[in-house]
Amino acid sequence: MSDEEHHFDSKADAGASKTYPQQAGTIRKNGYIVIKNRPCKVVEVSTSKTGKHGHAKCHFVGIDIFNGKKLEDIVPSSHNCDAPHVNRTDYQLIDISEDGFVSLLTENGNTKDDLKLPTDENLLSQIKDGFAEGKDLVVTVMSAMGEEQICALKDI
Amino acid sequence: MQRSPNDLSQLQATMRAIEVACSSIQMMVNRAEAEATILSLCQSPQPYQACQYILENSQMPNARFQAATAIRDAAIRDYCLCYVMQRASSPEGYVQAKVSAAAAQLMKRGWLEFSAAEKETFLSEVKQATLGIHGADVQFIGIKLMESLVSEFSLSTSTAMGLPAEFHDQCQKSMELEYLKTFYCWARDAASSVTNKILDSDSPVPETKVCTAALRLMLQILNWDFRYSKNGLESAKGKKNVFSAQVGNDNNLSRRSECTIVQPGPVWHDVLISSGHIGWLLSFYGALRQKFSCEGFWLDCPLAVSARKLIVQFCSLKGNIFHSDIGQMQENHLLQLLSGIMQWINPPDEVSKAIESGKSESEMLDGCRALLSIATVTTPVVFDQLLKSISPFGTLTLLSALMCEVLKVLMVRNAEEETWSWVARDLLLDTWTALLVSIESGGETGLLPAVGRNAASNVFSLIVESELKAASASAFSDDMASDYFQASASAMDERLSSYALIGRASIDITIPLLTNLFNERVARLHQGRGITDPTVTLEELYSMLLIIGHVLADEGEGETPLVPKAIQTQHVASGESEKHPVVVLSSSILNFAKQSLDSEMRASIFSPRLMEAITWFLARWSSTYLMPSEETGESNSGSCYDNNHMVQSSVSSKAFLIFGEHNQGKSVLDLVVHIATTTLVSYPGEKDLQALTCYHLLHALVRRRNVCVHLVGLDSWRRLANAFANERLLFTLYSAHQRSLAQTLVVSASGIKNPEASNQYVRDLMCHMTNYLMELSSKNDLKIVAHQPDVILLVSCLLERLRGAARATEPRMQKAIYEMGSTVMNSILIFLEVYKHEFAVVYLLLKFVVDWVDGQIIYLEAQETAGVVNFCMRLLQLYSSHNIGKISLSISSSLLSEAKTEKYKDLRALLQLLANLCSKDLVDFSSDSPETPGTNISQVVYFGLCIVIPLISLDLLKYPKLCHDFFSLLSHLLEVYPEMVAQLNDEAFSHVLGTLDFGLHHQDMEVVDMCLRALKALASYHYKETTVGKVGLGTRAAGSKDQNGQMSEGIFGRFLRTLLHLVLFEDYSTDLVSAAADALLPLILCEQSLYQRLGNELIERQVNPAFKSRLANALQCLTSSNQLSFTLDRMNYQRFRKNLINFLVEVRGFLRTIKILVLFPVLFVCKSVLQTSRIQDPGRILFEKIYPKQVK
Repeated sequence: MSDEEHHFDSKADAGASKTYPQQAGTIRKNGYIVIKNRPCKVVEVSTSKTGKHGHAKCHFVGIDIFNGKKLEDIVPSSHNCDAPHVNRTDYQLIDISEDGFVSLLTENGNTKDDLKLPTDENLLSQIKDGFAEGKDLVVTVMSAMGEEQICALKDI
Repeated sequence: MQRSPNDLSQLQATMRAIEVACSSIQMMVNRAEAEATILSLCQSPQPYQACQYILENSQMPNARFQAATAIRDAAIRDYCLCYVMQRASSPEGYVQAKVSAAAAQLMKRGWLEFSAAEKETFLSEVKQATLGIHGADVQFIGIKLMESLVSEFSLSTSTAMGLPAEFHDQCQKSMELEYLKTFYCWARDAASSVTNKILDSDSPVPETKVCTAALRLMLQILNWDFRYSKNGLESAKGKKNVFSAQVGNDNNLSRRSECTIVQPGPVWHDVLISSGHIGWLLSFYGALRQKFSCEGFWLDCPLAVSARKLIVQFCSLKGNIFHSDIGQMQENHLLQLLSGIMQWINPPDEVSKAIESGKSESEMLDGCRALLSIATVTTPVVFDQLLKSISPFGTLTLLSALMCEVLKVLMVRNAEEETWSWVARDLLLDTWTALLVSIESGGETGLLPAVGRNAASNVFSLIVESELKAASASAFSDDMASDYFQASASAMDERLSSYALIGRASIDITIPLLTNLFNERVARLHQGRGITDPTVTLEELYSMLLIIGHVLADEGEGETPLVPKAIQTQHVASGESEKHPVVVLSSSILNFAKQSLDSEMRASIFSPRLMEAITWFLARWSSTYLMPSEETGESNSGSCYDNNHMVQSSVSSKAFLIFGEHNQGKSVLDLVVHIATTTLVSYPGEKDLQALTCYHLLHALVRRRNVCVHLVGLDSWRRLANAFANERLLFTLYSAHQRSLAQTLVVSASGIKNPEASNQYVRDLMCHMTNYLMELSSKNDLKIVAHQPDVILLVSCLLERLRGAARATEPRMQKAIYEMGSTVMNSILIFLEVYKHEFAVVYLLLKFVVDWVDGQIIYLEAQETAGVVNFCMRLLQLYSSHNIGKISLSISSSLLSEAKTEKYKDLRALLQLLANLCSKDLVDFSSDSPETPGTNISQVVYFGLCIVIPLISLDLLKYPKLCHDFFSLLSHLLEVYPEMVAQLNDEAFSHVLGTLDFGLHHQDMEVVDMCLRALKALASYHYKETTVGKVGLGTRAAGSKDQNGQMSEGIFGRFLRTLLHLVLFEDYSTDLVSAAADALLPLILCEQSLYQRLGNELIERQVNPAFKSRLANALQCLTSSNQLSFTLDRMNYQRFRKNLINFLVEVRGFLRTIKILVLFPVLFVCKSVLQTSRIQDPGRILFEKIYPKQVK
């Protein structure tokens, strides 16, 4: 493909844009989509038509990646949807403070202290237990559309 | 139960008498007297108490045996037979049905042991009953009892009773050969004995019930799966048993299942054919019809329904019950039936009018069923002739008139399912299919008679009319189910193929008709453009395209379909090929489709749904007519048909050459490619349409090499390839479609004659994509850019395309595809790192590598192999380092389960990758000589497996496919490279063994089998090595001391224990015994002293001395009988298999029951009860009685 057609702007603020347009027909199951201004993971896609000889439309069922709520949307399949920019970063877990914040070590040696622990008991105990056992834990922080959350945990 | 002392002494006396009698029989003294005593027990009116007492208290086995027999006889006699006979008039029919079913079961249980005289006694009672001597109620019961017997003795409706299949077979045979005909005669006699009474009375009499039951029984008997009495010439395959005898309840019988062919064989000739039985039946029903006006009789009364069912059943009589007189006898038989049935369906218009004004449709539907049966057992010519001898028209004409009438009704009351006209239409369509299929497949029967062709064309035009009407009526309905092309096409497919058969019967009429109708609609579209709503016409065209596609061509199902025979062989008047109706019709459709290339026309006429139909039609049509390979065309017309047809068929096939390579073929191909490109480019987001284009149309085109040759030369194809490689537009296709498109384009390179040129073609196609991936992966800010959704989308699409290309690997293009993969190897590892949290991309990366390795590995030279293998290992390590010990956290349970599924899919891909690598050792096309030092594949794969195993949790093995893949890889490795096990490190080694142990206890039989094979391989390798003085598995096998100085067992010792335990005590399918034997033998040889010790332990554990000695003997036999030796050759394995089977038969019964007692403490209660009753072998009985329930 020629450079002209596939040129990427590797701007320094490339991560700044929160969402990107993507044609509804190309969004697959397991992809991401913005429904009702929430970033969602697509768990189901089906197509139907507007009347027998009309155009195709896609029916999405998504699950909010932060709060786990189910959301649905119907979009003509040639139209664009918003796809969220979902970023995941690994940090080493240094400390868990009493007031429910974590202290994370970034790649360049700084610490990140503004992330709150999840409120869900189950998730909380999974993180706390591992930490209490003295394991070296790496947490993966998922961020999208201005929100952040710990989404995975790994023992090194 | 409390017993008075008086009773008790009486019972004791009886017991003693029986015991004395038994011993005197044994000692041959006073035989007659003794027999009389025993007989008196059997015949005493209430023997139960006495028998029970004897069973519980007698020490003498013989006496207990007699008591048990007496109970059984009494049960049949009293509880069943007498019960039903005496309460014949009771209104609770279901109680009686249950009791007679129980009697039938009891009869069957003892059937093979009863003497003929005993059966005679029982059956004579039944016969007395059916003759009507004791009144109608008893007669009815007698017939019902026979019905239960017949259904109990038929294999498909028998109760399992915990008896072996052989027993059921023998019972069925005995019933069929000795009693079935007798039963039939009794039923017939019972029916005819009451007919006068029924016909004389103006209201229903009790005899009506008898007659109905008798007719049902006759129907049931005719439904019997005759196996033994038809001379064994034909097996009963393909025949369906319907013993249900639910005569009245026939509305939802499904299509094509209704016609069972009845072939009872020559012994039934006298009863069914020559006795005038059918005449009686027909006249009885005829007389019954007269009475329908009377109270209590109507068309759907059970009696009428049963009689009609029986008549229909007679229509499907076939086989050597008719003497071999060129079918004359069968024709007479059918004619007789048909003349009776005529009143049900003729004249068609009056019949249908009557039904529409409220008459029941069941008689008419049964008439249709009879026609279907007759059509199934005759040829079209005979079918048509039947009626000619008694009426001015043939049967085909009647069939056609009937069908037209039904279609007219169908058109008036639109599209309501489950109305009578739907059922009738389906039945009649099946009738046509039955007639025409014999022409299509048989060949030699030739064509339909002219009158039949006329009839068929009449029907066809009405069919088309009704389908068009249905289409236009449904044009605006928003029926979700019919929205999907695939779904609606396959649902209609069956019906459409019946239509196609009818349409093909007279192509000189039907095809021009289709052409006219099609052109009419096209013209209407053009006239109304921009003025009127085209939806109705569009829907009609959609429907027509489906019909035409079916009429003109067959579904290829993976093979190249030929022009349907009916079309090829029919004589068509027009001389020039351009005027052949098929050519004319094809051209009209192609012309119409061509208009979709114009953007204005597209916007106003060619809706996505219409395009779907066009794409589907083009795919189907091109497979048959576009550039047919000429050789096959000629060989067909030359050899398959007799001279008479040859001339005509060559005319037809010559006509179709107009779409051949040297004629219009090329321009049509060009058009098709243009249309395909249009659907991809100009219908954004129409996934279904594009799926049809990618998976159907384009695949159909590149499937044939001779088409590919022309394809690669076409500008339109080149433009499509170019757009795919260089333009952004096609990235908006669904990514899976892009994969398919890449595959198609690469496959088309096989049409280029010069191999270097085809490689270049692939390089040109793919190089931009690989370059882009490489460029992206080397960007400094990749980490930041990579997670932008648009970049992810692009990378995914490119990976899908690469994967598609990899799947198209053929020797000719192999080199270019290898280069394609090897240039991106490094980028792939980079992407795997960057996208480690992006499951969708990771999965695509893995799948691409899997497919690429799969296609390439067998061709690679040593150096290339080393590179690829090295790459794969790095991939595995990288994947493992990202994922091992990772826990996903999410508040949403469905997201968590998605994450689990994702993991499962990844691991499956990794296992596939390893399996693909393995294949290098099996198939190798590289030019290296075998001696060249190459990569040690086995080492690599073991290494890979050790990376993968820790990622596989027991939870993940619950996915059956993953579990299966995993164990098949593991057992393959252990079987082929057992020596590698010795080189594994401790952790990996214990992982492998742990999984084997897990697999041995798996529920899936195949998994256990694979583990057993692996064990066999390991143990036999070790044994063979050590016998020649090598180390084999060395310390692994010998066992070792752990830190505490405790001696831990070697692996073979451990598995010997496990396997013995499995074989002796656990549940498994008997199919596994041979595999277990194969594993056990080498294990025993490896660990002989342990085996001895285990055997002794087992013997010592037995408390019962009898069992002790049996077990010791059996163990002895296991290793010594059959000249078993200490070698591991085929012969010896076979001997050991036999030995193990015998061993298990001997000991498993008592070993296992003992375990059950331990397992289920509750059963101790039962055990103590049984022990006090002094019945021998409580374990076995317990096992039989209770264990099956536990299993359930």
